[in-house]
Amino acid sequence: MAFNSNNHLQPEDYSKLADHFVPDSNKVLAASPYDSQLGKNMARDARKVINGSLKIEDFHKVYSASLIKEFGDQYASGPMDTNQNSKAKSGTDPKWGMVIDLKKCIGCDTCTVSCKAENRTPPGVSYNVVLETIKGDFPNFSITNLPKPCMQCDNPPCVQVCPTRATYKMENGIVTIDNDRCIGCRYCMVACPYGSRSYDFGTSYEQEMAGFNDVTSPEYGVERGKRKKGAIPEETVRKCSFCYHRLQRGEEPACVETCIGDARYFGDMNDPNSVVSKLAASPRAFRLKEELGTKPRVVYLR
Amino acid sequence: MILKENIDNKMHAPKQKNGKLEKIYWISILIVFGIGIYSIITGYFMEGMESTNLSNIVPWGGWIAFYIYFIGLSAGSFLLSTLVYGFGMEKFEKIGRSALLSAIVCMITGILFVFLDIGRPDHVMNSVIYWNVTSTMSWEIHFYIVYLVLLIVELYFSMRNDLIVVAKNDNFKGKLSRFLTFNKKEYTDIDKVKDKKRLKIMGIIGIPLAILGVHGGTGSIFAVLKAQPYLNSALFPLIFIISALVSGTALSIAIYVIKCKVKKQQVDTSMIRSLGSMLSLFIVIEIIMVWYEFLVGFYGLEHEELGTLQLIMGSPYSWSFWIFQMGFALFFPLVILIIKKTRESINWILGASVMVLIGVVGVRFNMVIPTLIMPKIDGMPYGNYYMNLSEWLTSFGIIAMCLILYTIGEKLFPIDEIDSHENGVSKHE
Ligand code: SF4
Ligand code: SF4
Repeated sequence: MAFNSNNHLQPEDYSKLADHFVPDSNKVLAASPYDSQLGKNMARDARKVINGSLKIEDFHKVYSASLIKEFGDQYASGPMDTNQNSKAKSGTDPKWGMVIDLKKCIGCDTCTVSCKAENRTPPGVSYNVVLETIKGDFPNFSITNLPKPCMQCDNPPCVQVCPTRATYKMENGIVTIDNDRCIGCRYCMVACPYGSRSYDFGTSYEQEMAGFNDVTSPEYGVERGKRKKGAIPEETVRKCSFCYHRLQRGEEPACVETCIGDARYFGDMNDPNSVVSKLAASPRAFRLKEELGTKPRVVYLR
Repeated sequence: MILKENIDNKMHAPKQKNGKLEKIYWISILIVFGIGIYSIITGYFMEGMESTNLSNIVPWGGWIAFYIYFIGLSAGSFLLSTLVYGFGMEKFEKIGRSALLSAIVCMITGILFVFLDIGRPDHVMNSVIYWNVTSTMSWEIHFYIVYLVLLIVELYFSMRNDLIVVAKNDNFKGKLSRFLTFNKKEYTDIDKVKDKKRLKIMGIIGIPLAILGVHGGTGSIFAVLKAQPYLNSALFPLIFIISALVSGTALSIAIYVIKCKVKKQQVDTSMIRSLGSMLSLFIVIEIIMVWYEFLVGFYGLEHEELGTLQLIMGSPYSWSFWIFQMGFALFFPLVILIIKKTRESINWILGASVMVLIGVVGVRFNMVIPTLIMPKIDGMPYGNYYMNLSEWLTSFGIIAMCLILYTIGEKLFPIDEIDSHENGVSKHE
């Protein structure tokens, strides 16, 4: 997707680079002990797999016989393996969840700041906030700091009401917004019981922070280049995505990673042995506005 | 008698004065419309939603309130017209077509308001293409389209006989009518029976469409929101419908009486009186419903709902509740329509209707804004919302457009029945 932006090299450009790397590539390849035509064909089809026009299973089907012939036992994976893998996997795909320990939260707002930095949210948009409430009178009082991201509800009211299906539940448990489809009606904002959604009014920190507009975060894995007036996601609705783009690279959400008191835990709720699954079963666990039946995937420990 | 008076009136009425009045009307309305267009372009199109006072806490504001106001006017006046076309109550025949025309115009206005409230007009077709079956708003968008088409077809058939009469003229109106009637020369009795039947069918299809689809449905856009306990009640769509009837009846009375006054025609007193008593009936039903809505709300002791009620009734915003919702929309008109002396006077009934029309704006604002101002979770800030200048100018511009459309409709089409006052025909000849 990075290829789409004009500032980057196009796939053809890479081929050109490679073509001029050595004077005659075929000569060099012929010196190799392995079948160079097979390698070139595989490279061609691998590109198809990457751009989505060929399935990885089909790729393996086509090449595994020749690969076994070429490399013998050194060749490790075949089409059967991947098939079995994907079947076996389908039951245990991760379903992300978060646990926040309120006793550990000191209300420092690091998560809020790191979220703003990671997702490069404009003024007025905060995917995560920490709500501070004081209950009781001195000396018998308590202060609660309640960090509040999007709850990624399992029965999300926002998804129920969106007229265009621009916001929907993904299999991994995350509720996503397709900003290319969103019409900006803000019905979902009115429907969310947790106030988790914000509207991108098109404002920017450019005045205070030179270069703010130059990079946007690749939310939901979509690289959008510079922030420009009138370009998506402006004038659409935005919210916390559990840092889906970070999950794709195998990293935790920014708020979890930076929390100074280690109050946040993140992981796979489908895996009964994960830390989050265990903590979510603790007697201290509760969810916000449980009575509404929205089934939040963010669990708090009181 | 009536006829003679009409003609007399016409002769005595200084023609110039009427012309001058019309000029003033057009100039002022075009100025307001022009300013509105200017503010739409500089605000909505150049700055987007940033030009409004909306925020992430109060994401819906005045435009949404005006949108449900006009949808309500449309559904209400349509339901009134079904008394004529669906149920054959000839008594109200005189307001039938103008009620249909105002239903169409108000519908267009309402849709325009909600269109302006959408952040990405370039994506708007997505709401028609991608239908989310669980979304009330998605259903509404489709209902609105069907309903608008039905209204236009119904208006066409209700005035076809007169269109054929007008088509005999040689001016622009005549040409337009000829085009619309496909050059049909004569309106036979068979046509008349057929059209009556068509109108009846459309009126009857229209009733569930207007009640369940358009207005009840618009009410459910709000009522299904469990995030807003104040709105989340089964009574809410019904209150929507009944207040649509209140405002629609008031609109029809106001249009008819004002039109008669401007044209110096005799007002059909008995019809206005019975419309007036209908209005009072609707107001009473609305008061009962609102009473139970608040009663149950208070007994629920739910923190957010109590907070919202407090915002509505006892906060710096509560003038809109006490003066507009309670005073203008319910209490004052009800008193006027109950006291014997005032309920028989046309002017008082007109006054009550105009009050209702102003008051219901407040009702609609109170449906949308206070519940959003109330924080959803302890520790979140209260919202603060007033419409800013740009929003007001835009709204007035669109309302001016509504009047322009209505007046043009009245001018181009035979909205008043031609044979009910014959001097109408003589005007065209
Ligand atoms: S917290 Fe709000 S925005 Fe997030 S999934 Fe639930 S309803 Fe949707
Ligand atoms: S603002 Fe966008 S995501 Fe939200 S309900 Fe409307 S179309 Fe759906």
